[in-house]
Amino acid sequence: MEELVQHLTPILKEITGYIFPNEVELHWGILIVLYPYLTGLVAGAFILASLVKVFNVKELQPTYRIAMLTALAFLIVAPLPLLGHLGHPEKSYEIFLTPNTTSAMAMFGFVYAWYLMAVLLLEIWFDYRRDIILWASKEKGIKKWIHKIVSLFSKDISEKAIHFDKKSVKIVTIIGIPSAFLLHGYVGFIFGSIKANPWWSSVLMPIVFLFSAIVSGIALVLIIYMVVTPLRSKPIQMDCLDKLASYLFYVMIIDFSLEALDFIHRIYESEESIKILSELVSGKLFVSLVVIQLLMGMLIPLASIAATKIFKAPSELKKMVYFIAAILVEIGIFTTRWNIVIGGQLFSKSLRGLTVYKMTFFGLEGFLAAIGILILPFIILFILMKLLPPWEEARNP
Amino acid sequence: MKNFLAKIPEQVKRLSVLLVILVIVFIVVRSTLIPNDFGKIGHYRASAVQNIANNELHYAGQEVCVDCHDDIVAIKTKGYHKNLSCEVCHGPSIKHTESPDEFKPQIQRNRSFCPTCHEYLPSRPTGFPQIVSASHNPRKICVSCHNPHNPVPPVTPKGCEACHAEIAATKSLSFHSEIPCTKCHVANEKHKLSPRDNLPTKPTTREFCGQCHAEDANSPKDIPRINMATHEPRYVCWQCHYPHLPEAQ
Repeated sequence: MEELVQHLTPILKEITGYIFPNEVELHWGILIVLYPYLTGLVAGAFILASLVKVFNVKELQPTYRIAMLTALAFLIVAPLPLLGHLGHPEKSYEIFLTPNTTSAMAMFGFVYAWYLMAVLLLEIWFDYRRDIILWASKEKGIKKWIHKIVSLFSKDISEKAIHFDKKSVKIVTIIGIPSAFLLHGYVGFIFGSIKANPWWSSVLMPIVFLFSAIVSGIALVLIIYMVVTPLRSKPIQMDCLDKLASYLFYVMIIDFSLEALDFIHRIYESEESIKILSELVSGKLFVSLVVIQLLMGMLIPLASIAATKIFKAPSELKKMVYFIAAILVEIGIFTTRWNIVIGGQLFSKSLRGLTVYKMTFFGLEGFLAAIGILILPFIILFILMKLLPPWEEARNP
Repeated sequence: MKNFLAKIPEQVKRLSVLLVILVIVFIVVRSTLIPNDFGKIGHYRASAVQNIANNELHYAGQEVCVDCHDDIVAIKTKGYHKNLSCEVCHGPSIKHTESPDEFKPQIQRNRSFCPTCHEYLPSRPTGFPQIVSASHNPRKICVSCHNPHNPVPPVTPKGCEACHAEIAATKSLSFHSEIPCTKCHVANEKHKLSPRDNLPTKPTTREFCGQCHAEDANSPKDIPRINMATHEPRYVCWQCHYPHLPEAQ
């Protein structure tokens, strides 16, 4: 009791207007911000990879495997913030055993499992199969066995089999695109379908989520490509980078238009919630929404990428601009998730008051845990890159 | 048949084996881990109901209290606390029903207990008895003046501020401080005894405020005036202006 009072006292001082007692403290914190952010990165990275296989964008070939491994590394981590938030991770398998079809949240387990097993793992397996067999034949010790098991002891690397692999990759990618849309559209649906919350309830939510996901995924692969390639003392391919930046630019324009549409729609509709929402946007969310999400995360990257195109900037300058733009985009999309998840809980259902979110530093739902969950996919990605090198020169041992 | 099998690519065979293993593992895990009585009456174990029923009881329930304390229950059922169960204030007391002398239920003598419901909070319904405990006889315990089994004020309140302290405090700071409550609200004398059965009136017409605030009203010159015909004619005044603090936005 004492602890609770101590925890609530500083929050109570910052409440403005009238709110109901159960709205003082936010139920969904930083971990629930991370969850759509991470799944978004997965969907975005996968859709970028599918550009190579389905739409035959040759320039992006160097990032294809990086994007696939990135999607896998982030997908493995994506449910962790949920498990951390809900507690009792040892019981999580139960949602598979006794599926509750009336719960959108419970069905996520199946969307996730489908995407992991039927799309990502399958596509990576088909794409890597020939290389894994070749690697296993030349390696010794534990790595040989890992590769053997991963290839399911497959041996056939005849012309016909490799042709079949290529065809399968294409088919899986075609199934994968709607699956990736489903995966992240679903996350938007979870928020968009909450009709009691005017900040969330919008049919546009899944689509806005999806496009911001693609934006963040492309930016992430761009960052990883630009960091990893010099570390391997290899030259960065400018045509690949330019293409990545172009796609980033186009998808950002769509994302920006959709968000603007949503915004204008809300203002024109002017439902009874508009007063408290404008108070929210101009007050507690001003820095994270207007300054970081809109200005730093959207307008500055858009303008700087456009400027490199208009003024035909030299390669070195372009690289710097792309890199900074991609980092700003990542921060911007993170605050997008923040503004949706946290912003949606800051105002009272009475539409007459605002509360405040106090993040703890330690603890399962604290800042430190969030940082850990954010770093973890990069560690997994490092291990994956060691086991399944995504580079072109590794293909012919 | 052999020909057909040979035509299937090697990859498909291996993946199929993996898929079959996964499906078998799933079926085995499902059949061993799902309790037999799952789903019999709902999306949960049927025996969970019995497990919960087997939990240790803490509350006796009001019906048991009547058996011995019928005199007190008779008073309580006529008073304002008639909807409260005995153990809301006296705490879980099933042990008291088993050994009445050994275990005595709590008696709330703490000043912090009653304000759980009766401390002033703007979200509580108007007319619900509320106090500001810091200024309401701060040295006395609640039960020294109020009988919790029949909670009425020890003396019939003389003025409105006894129950509507927050409004009285707000009004005392406003331009309307000199106006008595009864100028705008007609309160029946019975309102003091059973407030919710005898609600006071509220002004229902624009002309009521117009007595002082209309352009042609016979009132002191420094009172703000409006043109009754053009000033938001479709609204009653208190829909926009809070009469207890009219200068507030």
